[in-house]
Amino acid sequence: MTLVGLSIKNVSRNRLRAVLTVFGVAIALLAFVFIRTTLDAWTGGAEHAAQDRLGTMHKVTFTMDLPRTYFDELDGTRGSVPGVKAATYQSWFGAKHPVREQEFFATIAVDTDTFFQVYEDMEVPAEQLAAWKEDRQGAIIGEALAKQFGWSVGDDVTLVGTIYPGDWKFTIEGIYTAKRRAVDKSQFLFHWKYLNESMKEQAPARAERIGWMTTLIEGSARGAEVAQAIDARFEERDIQTRTMSERALNMEFLGSFGAILTALDVVSGVILVIMMLILGNTIAMSVRERTNEYGVLLALGFRPKHIALFVMGEGIAVGLLGGLVGLALAYPFINGMGRWIEDNMGSFFPYFQIPPHVAITSLALAMLLAGLAAVIPAYRASRLDVIDALRRIG
Amino acid sequence: MIPISYNLRNLAVRRTTTLATALGVGLVVFVLAASLMLTEGLRRTLSLSGHDDAAIVMRKGSDNELSSTIADAQVGQIASAPRVKKGADGRPLAVGDVVAVIFVDLVNGSGKTNLVVRGVTSDGIAFRPELKVVEGTLPRPGTGEVMVGRKIEGRFNAVQLGGEIELRKNRMAKVVGVFEAAGSSYESEIWGDKDYVGQAFGREGMVSAVRVQLDSPGGFDEFALAVEQDKRLGLDAIPEREFYEKASENTSVFISAMGIIIAVFFSIGAMIGAMITMYGTVANRRSEIGVLRALGFSRTVILVSFLFESVLLSLLGGLLGIGAALGLGMVEFSMMNFQTFSEIVFTFQPTPDILVTALVFGGMMGVLGGLLPAIRAARTAPIEAMRG
Repeated sequence: MTLVGLSIKNVSRNRLRAVLTVFGVAIALLAFVFIRTTLDAWTGGAEHAAQDRLGTMHKVTFTMDLPRTYFDELDGTRGSVPGVKAATYQSWFGAKHPVREQEFFATIAVDTDTFFQVYEDMEVPAEQLAAWKEDRQGAIIGEALAKQFGWSVGDDVTLVGTIYPGDWKFTIEGIYTAKRRAVDKSQFLFHWKYLNESMKEQAPARAERIGWMTTLIEGSARGAEVAQAIDARFEERDIQTRTMSERALNMEFLGSFGAILTALDVVSGVILVIMMLILGNTIAMSVRERTNEYGVLLALGFRPKHIALFVMGEGIAVGLLGGLVGLALAYPFINGMGRWIEDNMGSFFPYFQIPPHVAITSLALAMLLAGLAAVIPAYRASRLDVIDALRRIG
Repeated sequence: MIPISYNLRNLAVRRTTTLATALGVGLVVFVLAASLMLTEGLRRTLSLSGHDDAAIVMRKGSDNELSSTIADAQVGQIASAPRVKKGADGRPLAVGDVVAVIFVDLVNGSGKTNLVVRGVTSDGIAFRPELKVVEGTLPRPGTGEVMVGRKIEGRFNAVQLGGEIELRKNRMAKVVGVFEAAGSSYESEIWGDKDYVGQAFGREGMVSAVRVQLDSPGGFDEFALAVEQDKRLGLDAIPEREFYEKASENTSVFISAMGIIIAVFFSIGAMIGAMITMYGTVANRRSEIGVLRALGFSRTVILVSFLFESVLLSLLGGLLGIGAALGLGMVEFSMMNFQTFSEIVFTFQPTPDILVTALVFGGMMGVLGGLLPAIRAARTAPIEAMRG
């Protein structure tokens, strides 16, 4: 029997303990993978966000709006600002479902002519798009939102405005699908003109205002230049603008949750420490119980390094086994839950699945930590004196 | 009964194992206590801003001050509603604030965030008696001077005494004071003159929300009925405390849900750790248990003794965890409040309830982890055990 074989065989000596340890490591690993997947899903939205799309908003804060004339000027820059392929504008509407008001989703008033030219990563069947453009009260919604509320094409829906007061009636004319991972699949898009005309009647001061503008540029390499050119255009106005890529915007938004992201990071480290404590405890225990045997092995002529290898090998084997069981649990559990999260919390987590690098890292970490946890017991075992070890009881 | 010192000595003899297991439990208790303390800190910070005998009036449908607007002319109408308390000078106690947010850089350059800017009148400052200027002076009415809350002072560029904050182009605000407000969320805001702030954000002639002082907390219903009855006003009244509780709801549900999910995951790990340790203990002391049985100790007594040892072990860990969590009391936590999308700074807030909950949770891990090993110990047959 090889040394490796012997050390693995040793694992199954105390079955109950081995099973418990493997289970403990597996649970810790499951928690670790869950936290890392959450972090990845959170920041992933930013990393997968478009770099070739620029957002232009009020310089002071995104909560303040811009005059609509700004768009006419920006649109006019096609040609004058090199690199601008298409431009559109939109306003945050902030409405809620009349009954299920706790469930957040984005409601946005958009320019029907240009919106889907700029948002190339959202796909709508051509006949639905045409019908939507015709219907002033028409809305196009994301597939996740349609599923969440059970809405389908042709349904009449009423939303309650929070920023623009009152009940707003819409007809669902189309459902879009996402071509890119970072696309929020639960948006509710409708005609900016519908909003604007209502404002003209109810609150003229709020008419002809837009929330922000979006431009699609030709080469992402020139993104910064185009952004500067747009801001320069409004530099001398009363309201100045701030333009940045969608990715940079998302990154900035994430920055506001820095404290939570850090806390999660720390917590995922804590779980690794717990994992190591469990492993170290088990290994130390089995070494203690087997002092006698090590004495016998030493007496038979095995060298101290062999003893150390036994202990290390046993530890790593347990770590690996625990890691594999943990991953086997993690995939159905986390990805299954991830699907539910994507459907119901799509605005925050458009994509929630275990990334391959997280799976590989966690498995490697389980083995590494098992190895580390075994170092001290292995060192102690290798320093045993033959006579002492044989004499020791229990 | 088997003496407690028997258990204590056993724990002391196997120090490394005891410590490793207790640390595992301690970490779980720490995570649970920390997240509960954070939720409590947020809730307290926001609820301190609300008073029982005050009400806040916003435009119908708005759920925060940012999206609400009320014309200046309507403020007088709201003030004249029934049950509004009158001040010493006979005027009703009702104030309107302009609320906006600005985008500022963090001092360390690691990002940008939104801060709430509140434009108030001098009545508005008097309306909050808890407000105290701790450095510098109050901003003079009608000028571009502002004061900043103690919690955000020095965290963001120019948000400090003598700093100049750009509200919009050519609209600078000079920081002349730093204020405290009994730890409430106001301490995460910038306060300036109502008209100056209003102009800077295009809110001339209007306010965001109106706060009124009621003659008693019970007066709210009558006041709300009067304000909401007038359909032309299109307004909604909410008790101030309820408004702030709602404002903290989303964020605190988020934090505590995350904390509890993580703590439950962790506790399974720590429980297994305790179980492994206790099984090891039982196996090692087999002959001892045999002797105890032979001496006449009943199965129940042995079961209780081992269970007790396990609980002791986990309580030791629990105390370690709570100790570490209490150490967080000094740390200030800054994050975005989902309701207003702006920064709010709060601290970890320990309460006796939280500490007891966390400790009991730790103890439960000892009970659950120790139960099976204790049963095994109790079922040991004396003769065989002593024979080895």
